[in-house]
Amino acid sequence: MKIPYFPGCTLHSKARGLDETTRGSLAALGVELVELPEWTCCGTVFPLAQDNYIGMVAAARILANAAKMEGGKLATVCSFCYHVLKRVNYAIKNNSEARKKLNDYLEENYGGEIETIHPLEICKEIIGLDAIREKLKRKLKGLKVACYYGCMLVRPAAEMNFDHPENPTIMEELISALGAEVVEYPGKTTCCGSYQVLNDMSLVKQKVKEILYSASARGAEAIITSCPLCQFNLDWMQEKLAEENNGFSKVPVLYFTQLLGLTLGLPEESLRLGEHYVDPKPLLLGA
Amino acid sequence: MYTQEMQEAIKIVEQTRERRLKETFPRLKPEEKENLLRSYHPDYKPDATRVVKVGPNKGDKFTHEHADLLESRSMLDPDTFSLDNIDFDVDVLVIGGGGAGTSAALLAHEAGAKVMIATKLRHGDANTMMAEGGIQAADKENDSPAIHYLDVMGGGGFYNIPELVAALVLDAPLCIQWLESLGCMFSKFPDGTMHTIHGGGTSRKRMHFAHDYSGAEIMRTLRDEARNRGIPVIEFSPAVELIIDEYGQCAGAVLYNLETEQFLVVRAKTVIIATGGSGRLHIGGFPTTNHYGATADGIVMAYRAGAKLIYLDATQFHPTGVAFPEQIVGQLVTEKVRGLGAQLVNAEGEQFIYPLETRDAVSSAIIRECKERKKGITTPSGMQGVWLDSPMIDIIHGKGTIERELPAMFRQYKRFNINMAEQPILVYPTLHYQNGGILINDKAETSIPNLYVAGEASGGVHGRNRLMGNSLLDIIVFGRRAGMNAAERAKSVKLGRLTLDHVKRYHEELRKEGLGQKVAPILLPDYRGKISG
Amino acid sequence: MAEERKMVNIYIMGKHYKVPYGLTIMKAMEYAGYRFVRGCGCRGGFCGACGTVYRKPGDFRLKVGLACQTMVEDNMYLTQIPFYPANKATYNLEELTPTLSTILQYYPEVTRCLGCNQCTRICPQELKVMDYIAAAQRGDIEKVAHLSFDCIMCGLCASRCPAEIVHYNVAILARRLYGRHIAPPAKHLAKRVEEIKAGKFDEEIQKLMKMNKEELQKLYNARDIEP
Repeated sequence: MKIPYFPGCTLHSKARGLDETTRGSLAALGVELVELPEWTCCGTVFPLAQDNYIGMVAAARILANAAKMEGGKLATVCSFCYHVLKRVNYAIKNNSEARKKLNDYLEENYGGEIETIHPLEICKEIIGLDAIREKLKRKLKGLKVACYYGCMLVRPAAEMNFDHPENPTIMEELISALGAEVVEYPGKTTCCGSYQVLNDMSLVKQKVKEILYSASARGAEAIITSCPLCQFNLDWMQEKLAEENNGFSKVPVLYFTQLLGLTLGLPEESLRLGEHYVDPKPLLLGA
Repeated sequence: MYTQEMQEAIKIVEQTRERRLKETFPRLKPEEKENLLRSYHPDYKPDATRVVKVGPNKGDKFTHEHADLLESRSMLDPDTFSLDNIDFDVDVLVIGGGGAGTSAALLAHEAGAKVMIATKLRHGDANTMMAEGGIQAADKENDSPAIHYLDVMGGGGFYNIPELVAALVLDAPLCIQWLESLGCMFSKFPDGTMHTIHGGGTSRKRMHFAHDYSGAEIMRTLRDEARNRGIPVIEFSPAVELIIDEYGQCAGAVLYNLETEQFLVVRAKTVIIATGGSGRLHIGGFPTTNHYGATADGIVMAYRAGAKLIYLDATQFHPTGVAFPEQIVGQLVTEKVRGLGAQLVNAEGEQFIYPLETRDAVSSAIIRECKERKKGITTPSGMQGVWLDSPMIDIIHGKGTIERELPAMFRQYKRFNINMAEQPILVYPTLHYQNGGILINDKAETSIPNLYVAGEASGGVHGRNRLMGNSLLDIIVFGRRAGMNAAERAKSVKLGRLTLDHVKRYHEELRKEGLGQKVAPILLPDYRGKISG
Repeated sequence: MAEERKMVNIYIMGKHYKVPYGLTIMKAMEYAGYRFVRGCGCRGGFCGACGTVYRKPGDFRLKVGLACQTMVEDNMYLTQIPFYPANKATYNLEELTPTLSTILQYYPEVTRCLGCNQCTRICPQELKVMDYIAAAQRGDIEKVAHLSFDCIMCGLCASRCPAEIVHYNVAILARRLYGRHIAPPAKHLAKRVEEIKAGKFDEEIQKLMKMNKEELQKLYNARDIEP
């Protein structure tokens, strides 16, 4: 089947690995992601003020463009893009004031008909975990993996309606289907500090430290996420943490799609494992 | 949008299209072409020209429109105008901000000269910007500069000056490579091979292009580069007279700021005239494809200073100017339309000329078809034209070709509700190019020391008829040569006292002939209160 | 133009004129008595000098056209925008890399795009201006180059942008980056340039230069023509 797809800017620059493994993995599972012919930045941040419609126009237009394609859905994997698109769609669908204001600035009318969908949901609800198990070329036998959601995928719960806002499990279900051993830890929906990395690095360092220690203490050998910014913060900060903390042991931070692609037998170069700060290759590809 | 009558006329074209797709109209034999030109080309109309009574070409024939300018007096009164206050002092002054001028400025800048551009309108307002079709260079395996040479000579009626043609064809690949290195987006195959097609009168496919924005792409790239290098450009300030020093060397120019109406004196060790053509003189009353400022200013100034002109009486009519809709009459329909396979068809749906004959021949054939054979199509405003069967292009090369390869053309017609991919377009010859101009040598030098000319203002390289794709080439080849040589020359120039003595002498000559009532250069055409223009 | 022409009312910068129906805005302004210095360049839709905006009574929408390519309409309130200040970065193309960081170094403001789409709406060339800025934001230089190729740099996009982006200057940077650093160089061209520099064709050209008209004519008439 075909599903319209919004990659997001970061997936065309810094997070190409997330883009390629998402498309590649789903293609191997029989779902073709069809990139929107024209798309802009989603806006990145959902406006804090409810009536700040200019911040929602870009996302509204992306959704309206998706509505012109076949399928009734729009897939996106970056947690930020997913968050913004889903909430703007929610606003258009449920808030008549927002719908009217936004449509005043759109070229064609849009009423919130699109269902925004995340590849985790595609895997679980459309393809099915059993079907995935059947297509695996290899299994992550005994690999101890901590799933990290951060904030954007799951909250606010009413609008995101993704999984449990404090204790989501959809990534764990997928990763155990791939043969990995799930590491349960309390930090999986703790904020990583997000774009505060630009303003207040010490804050982010503190948050990342909490998350990493929490996962490592429970034996995690790898952390997975669907967010390019979370991935960056958790990955890049480890060099500094190692300098400042004796005995800190680094742990690779991956996109969940990279592990999915690995088990589905995607070519090694398309997994783009070499683009992370903490090298995951010794762990995943063996010595 | 076509009228009901015109839509009926189009049906005839459609009826013959399938048959014509398989037909090739025979090319003209040399003597047939000769006869066609003599009988129908506007250059040969006996009342189109007159003898000029003053200046270096005294006794030669020119079109009335050019002669009027040459027999006019200066904007300046040489007895009272003061050159004492020098506003700009540079090594190289380039007059004209089109493709030739900007190429010259870039090369002069590269050679270390202090260079300045003065231009009448904005930087880039020039015929270069409007050139759609392409630029020739013999750079493919089956082609050579020698074959290109022969095409140029034949196209020009063998009147071309050999050393200029040699420079043109040998520099051509180098110039394309220079443009490529500046980031010009030529249309290419995925492996980098450039697309090349035929133009009228070419024996090899050597027309390089950038969709149908070839000139615009070159012009905006050169302009961007000049801006990056910080070359000063004085806009809305055309030169109105050259300055000659006491030793007879060209030593600068007087500019006229069109907005503040002040004169500015530029002293320069060398001067490059790159003022372009003269379509806005509307020679013979024809509409023109040219930009708003094409009024032969450089010709007028150089002539007064003593430079010889050559082939200025040879005017190029582009065979396919817009004949309908009325709003854009005279605007260019690029030769690439024929290069891609569209045929010229009369009211009976029949071809009457091989579409890629040289421009002078195709123009003459269209005029014959309308004026003598009465097989033209008449528009609501009373204009005549013949069909250019553009839908053939998509049939030959596949649907969507026109939109992809001729976006500017497609857009131009779409604005007036004509879809040229589905309906033929109506065309008639339009004034396009000044084949001759100020005589130069292969270093772009004139007979006046330190005065250089490049581009359409110059004469000799194209003989009496330029081939498509050789004017974009000309401006780059001779623009570069002028810039390089002028910068080199500037290093050793010692200027004397600045004068306008040549203008005094010229005014005296005019007075003796009872001429000089009008003022030239005219700088801009005047369409106030008129409907056409 | 023998027949009686219908006249329409236009308002040039608010001032009323009666002009013949069917003229372009440019010709109508000239008919009304204007002699352009600014606001008129090529008169053929290529130079971007004559960007014009207008409104019709009772319609809040701002409309746009090139004066040389747009027909006058009855009750058009129009003004030209012949110049609009623009930030133009200066760079040495040779030294640049065709990457997102180059775009962001010279034009960081592209990331301020709000997605309002006013640039696309005003573009007289009907280009997808906002979409090429979106492509610039993610470093897709090839896409910027192709989407912006028909740009005539009239500057109307920049006049409307709440993010103060100068779209057309971003676009020409991208096109030059593409032409110089992404599109593969033409090998046949490089080869021919080497041959010319080595003097391969000099002798042949010199021979032709010495020929008289008849000799040349004979060669010309006998030349084979590539089909």
